Amino acid sequence: MRTRFRLTLKTRFYANVALVLFLFLSFFSASAEIEGDVANGKSLWNANCAACHKLDRKAVGPALGDVTERRTVEWLIKWIRNNQELRESGDRDAIAIWEEYNRSAMPNYPQFSDQDILDILAYTIDGGKPKEVVAGGDGVTLAPVDGGGSGPAKLPVLIGLGVFFVLLIMLLAKVKNTLRIVKGEDPESVASELSGFSRGLAKNSAFVTLATIIIGVLFLHQLYWTLMGVGMEQNYQPEQPIAFSHALHAGENGIDCNYCHSSARHSKHSGIPSANVCMNCHMYIDGSEITDASGNPKYGGESSPEIAKIYAAIGWDPAENAYIEGHEEMPIKWVRIHNLPDLAYFNHAQHVNAGGIECQTCHGPIEEMEEVYQYSPLTMGWCINCHRETEVQVETNGYYEDMHAKLAKKYPGEKITVEKIGGLECGKCHY
Amino acid sequence: MANSKKYWKGFDDLIDSPISKSLAENEFAEPLPSTDFYGDEKKLESSSTSRRDFLKFLGFSTAAATLAACEAPVVESIPYVVKPEEIIPGVPNYYATSIFQGGDFASVLVKTREGRPIKIEPNKDVAFNGGTSARIQGSILSLYDANRLQEPMAGGDISSWPEVIKATKAAIEKANNSGKQVLFVTQNIISPLANKLVGQMAMQYSNLHHIIFDGTSFSGKLDFYEKAIGKRALPTMNLDNASLIVSFNADFLGEYTGQSVSSTYAAKRKPGKSMLRHVQFESMLSISGAAADNRYKLRASEQAVALAYLYSKLGGAVSKPNVNESTASQLDAVAKELKAAAGTSLVLAGGNDEASEAFAFGINQLLGNVGKTLDVANLLLLHAENDAKLSNATKSLASGKVGAVVFVDVNAVHALPKSLGFTANLDKADAVITLTDRLDETAAVANYALPLTHFLESWNILHPTSNTVGLSQPTIGKLFNTMQFEEVLLAWLGEDKKLYDAVKETYSELNLDAPFNTALHDGVVSKEVAAAAALADVDYSGYAKAASAAVSSGTEIVFYRSTALGNGTYANNPWLLEMPDPISRVSWDNYLMVSPSKAEELGVRNYTESNGAVNGDYVTVTVGENQLENVPVFVQPGLAPDTVALAIGYGRTAAGKAGNEVGVNAATIMNGLQHWATGVSIAKASGKHEFACIQLAHTMMGRKIVNETTLEAFLNDSHESWNVKTKFETHKGQLTASETTLWQAHDHQTGHMWNMSIDLNSCIGCGACVIACNAENNVPVVGKDEMRRHRDMHWLRIDRYYSSDMTEEVAEEEGIRATTKFLKMEIASDNPEVVFQPVMCQHCNNAPCETVCPVAATVHSAEGLNHMAYNRCIGTRYCANNCPYKVRRFNWFSYENNSDFTAVNPAQDDLGRMVLNPDVTVRARGVMEKCSLCIQRIQYAKLEAKKDGRKVRDGEFTTACAQACDSGALVFGDINDSASRVAELKKDTRMYHLLEDVGTEPSIFYQTKVRNKA
Repeated sequence: MRTRFRLTLKTRFYANVALVLFLFLSFFSASAEIEGDVANGKSLWNANCAACHKLDRKAVGPALGDVTERRTVEWLIKWIRNNQELRESGDRDAIAIWEEYNRSAMPNYPQFSDQDILDILAYTIDGGKPKEVVAGGDGVTLAPVDGGGSGPAKLPVLIGLGVFFVLLIMLLAKVKNTLRIVKGEDPESVASELSGFSRGLAKNSAFVTLATIIIGVLFLHQLYWTLMGVGMEQNYQPEQPIAFSHALHAGENGIDCNYCHSSARHSKHSGIPSANVCMNCHMYIDGSEITDASGNPKYGGESSPEIAKIYAAIGWDPAENAYIEGHEEMPIKWVRIHNLPDLAYFNHAQHVNAGGIECQTCHGPIEEMEEVYQYSPLTMGWCINCHRETEVQVETNGYYEDMHAKLAKKYPGEKITVEKIGGLECGKCHY
Repeated sequence: MANSKKYWKGFDDLIDSPISKSLAENEFAEPLPSTDFYGDEKKLESSSTSRRDFLKFLGFSTAAATLAACEAPVVESIPYVVKPEEIIPGVPNYYATSIFQGGDFASVLVKTREGRPIKIEPNKDVAFNGGTSARIQGSILSLYDANRLQEPMAGGDISSWPEVIKATKAAIEKANNSGKQVLFVTQNIISPLANKLVGQMAMQYSNLHHIIFDGTSFSGKLDFYEKAIGKRALPTMNLDNASLIVSFNADFLGEYTGQSVSSTYAAKRKPGKSMLRHVQFESMLSISGAAADNRYKLRASEQAVALAYLYSKLGGAVSKPNVNESTASQLDAVAKELKAAAGTSLVLAGGNDEASEAFAFGINQLLGNVGKTLDVANLLLLHAENDAKLSNATKSLASGKVGAVVFVDVNAVHALPKSLGFTANLDKADAVITLTDRLDETAAVANYALPLTHFLESWNILHPTSNTVGLSQPTIGKLFNTMQFEEVLLAWLGEDKKLYDAVKETYSELNLDAPFNTALHDGVVSKEVAAAAALADVDYSGYAKAASAAVSSGTEIVFYRSTALGNGTYANNPWLLEMPDPISRVSWDNYLMVSPSKAEELGVRNYTESNGAVNGDYVTVTVGENQLENVPVFVQPGLAPDTVALAIGYGRTAAGKAGNEVGVNAATIMNGLQHWATGVSIAKASGKHEFACIQLAHTMMGRKIVNETTLEAFLNDSHESWNVKTKFETHKGQLTASETTLWQAHDHQTGHMWNMSIDLNSCIGCGACVIACNAENNVPVVGKDEMRRHRDMHWLRIDRYYSSDMTEEVAEEEGIRATTKFLKMEIASDNPEVVFQPVMCQHCNNAPCETVCPVAATVHSAEGLNHMAYNRCIGTRYCANNCPYKVRRFNWFSYENNSDFTAVNPAQDDLGRMVLNPDVTVRARGVMEKCSLCIQRIQYAKLEAKKDGRKVRDGEFTTACAQACDSGALVFGDINDSASRVAELKKDTRMYHLLEDVGTEPSIFYQTKVRNKA
């Protein structure tokens, strides 16, 4: 979507006239009229600027929400493309900024075209607008629009159908009785007719036998699976202390699983990242502008209360952009989802590193989960099945060098599965 | 007809007595109190709860409870807030550190998991004491001892550090300024930092006297070396070029001066032409005596004179003293051997007397051993005690001249011999301050008790020998509100210095080449040694007089340090308490060892109950004025004539929940700080003592359990003559068990094939492997009662066998019949040859246990291991019954939460659980367990190799027992790796399997013991 910025601002989410007027006035006073593609600007911003800049407040670098009011477009283009050159040319403003920020240089972006920079600047105007729309005393907040995601309610339909069928039965009974009367017989009530029918069935030994068998089998089947399910926690989805979204981090942002769960390659534990790992990014990102279909912030908005929990744990003051001195660390008590019994030994490194198994094989479509649940049953049968089917990377791992030749001789033409190298032995997981 | 037959219920019925009539009428002899059961009828009738309803409620509530129990608990997972860079959860970290505790020094690696130390491993790169003994292995458990003192105490109440430091400093100052003495009673101090600070204290307080008491004194030896080499330090032993060791009561493989020589000893005793020969003269059977090629009995009081005899025999300038005939002939033979081995021999003396040491040194000097096998340049700095100082201090104390006594890790009230009279006069001091790790017997009489840190929480710098400097670093934060001695000293001196800085400063003062951080990483750095000073002339005639004067007749008692507790520092350590003594195989006790003949003379005995538990009689032992009552008697071969022995360090009353009331306190009857006492009288007392002795069969009854041969046979004869394989007559001719097997062979060629070699020639029975296994595999402690019932849980035991005078050959020669022969075979020789045999699960490839398990809980692996799946086990114990090696252990109780085991099992409290290895399951009640050959280590090493994409390297990992074995008796590896050490050892001519005629084809194999007999 290419939007032209020309005094009028059409946005997707906010159509408040008061706001538009406000923006109109504010941009009118701005030094230049900027034509830029907000969407392209946003993606460039996120890729290149967001690590150090925020729109609404100071981060590593200055807040840029109102930069177009403070600086001319020409100056900004020069600065962004090569701020060092600008400084060396003796530009006072440039030097002042450099001094103000402890002479920490901003990278140069010679690859940006003028239009790219204009796009980014357009985004700083668009993105920098206040999102909470409160205008005057009777500010208009948009009512949530039904996204149409939920299907038609099923229960009323079922009740309706039920009523319809009952009426139908009564109607048919009426018709039957009318026919009886026509034939000169006594009419019978529905109830007595039904009881006569059921009495007949009860006397039918073949039916009784069949029904007993069916009910018995169904009962045993149910009992078996109920008992087998004891202690099985598939689909377990506890509420976590922080509403962390894997869909956002692993899915939308495409962060590699190993970035946070770095122990998985080295250790038996995949490891829950410590808060300082979160802070690698969240020092700069304290919210998300992603909204749900109805336009409400999906992940807590610009200043997410969920991310604030990390700050509370580690002692980060987002206003000051600094760690709080002498803060007492508060560990985050996550709820463990995947619980193996103590008697089973499982090692992530064995599977992830040595075995080259994808995380998703066991954990399911984690990159789509807003809230993680236990995807696999984690039963012994499930483990064993996988060990029976999974091929070992005998060719690529030097560990198997000698073994591979012998295995190839022992199982000519067969796949070398985990089972064939002893992966089903008790002592491999139970000790 | 048959119906008319009448059966009488008894004579009463026959004669139709009134009793039988009334019995026939009433079913119950007394009316049943049914009204009590049902209450009054009205109430019962009006009740809405019928019996059926009651059963319904019962059933429902049971079902509900069952269902509720199925719900899984919510498990929290709490990551670090800021993760230390070096910690990866699940991956262990190792830190090098040095230990000096209870007289034991060791350089070790400490394994930590998620910040808590869980295992101590040897630091094998280190030349001096880089190995671990059982006590060093077990010392980690003392860190998590719930009975440790946790807060500073003043007058029996909890205080704070600033307050107690102020108060104790004031007490010291007051004593000093009033002209009274201040006694600092410490263990040996090998920390240059602590010595420096104590020196500064002495400068500040002119009346301060530093006394050293270590449980066992070597003051006599030190007195001699002060004269001979001008330094109050012991020489170090150097066995690298030794060919003959002659030891007189010196248990140099066990409890001697603190220098560990077992690794070189074992290396030098590999069978071959240059095998080290070892002759031991001793009064009680020690593990050194057990290892000796020839062992002779020698009364402790005759030790000095025997050495003097040998000295004169070898040309020493003293007249030949009188010794008894048999000893003389033994000494003559030894003298010949020593002459032949001049320069490569070593003569050692035990005890605490100057004369013995003088003659031992004199002999070494005559033979030119000094500077070769006995190093007087590189000195052992572990001992600096001075008995004269202690007796002077005692005199001052008795005369009221002492103002304050500061005990540092010295439990004087318990451990100082009563005969010294020190503790009896302790109340004459104005203030008693004790720095202690627990509220022990001394703390009970002290005004202040200051809690000490454990060495795993401490910074320190240690200087154990002239050429070794070790560093200690904390591996965990302080668990309690404790301080270490050096910190307290700094506080008393008013120095506001961090311990780390103080240690670093002291390190830099030593002017060593290695940077501090390198030293910290390696644990130990070497220091240059100055050349030995010229040896002073020694007056041997004076010593000869003393030696002759020492000889005494009558009963003697030897006080020794036990392998488990040492000087008693570890008295509350359940792992060590439960470790059976290598020689007597008794755990949880000390006892008076008496020889079978002495036992007969005293009318005391040991006997076995029907459940296999050993009992013994009590005696009262009197030495001089002091009497020790209720001393249990243990009958033990190998003691010198009229000699008994008792271990020190036991009989604690305030050690902690596990160590209280274990054994008797030998310090009550000790003769000052001498290692033995003469003039002992023993009288039988009433009562029976219950022992926890786990070995009842002491001889091998002529079977090939420990295969043993002589060096002569080993060198000259075919191995088939001394390593006999049993053959069976078959239709195919004579075949061995493995050639006639009914079993289907496993494929053991494809992957790994883990095997272990156990060299019985190297094993000295020290028990380090047993404790290492306990720590690695979460082996539960079961306590004395269970041990008595032979329900020990040790995965690895060390069997000890004595030789018997009766052998197959003797029986044949003398025409003795089988019954008599076997009866006599059960009896150990009076001076038996001793062998040790570590036995763990043999990992049979044709495993008898596997075939009888009804649920396939124990199964065979492709890698040669016998797996045990605990959760599959239903506890039939068929496997244990069918195991020919008796290595399977059954969990009779839930040791970690059964209240009967609260006192003994460390895993019952949160603190004690911290030592558990998180990679090994804690087994539940009702399941069988056994050695897994440390499968967790195997799997870990395999994974490391897979992660790196390489093969598993031989020696990159080993089992806990093999790692702990200082003498290298245990070698573990993959025999499919043809270059591995274990593959080599499997082909050795000494190799045999335990009970190989059973045909179990174990993965564990043994190496024949070879004795270098004269």
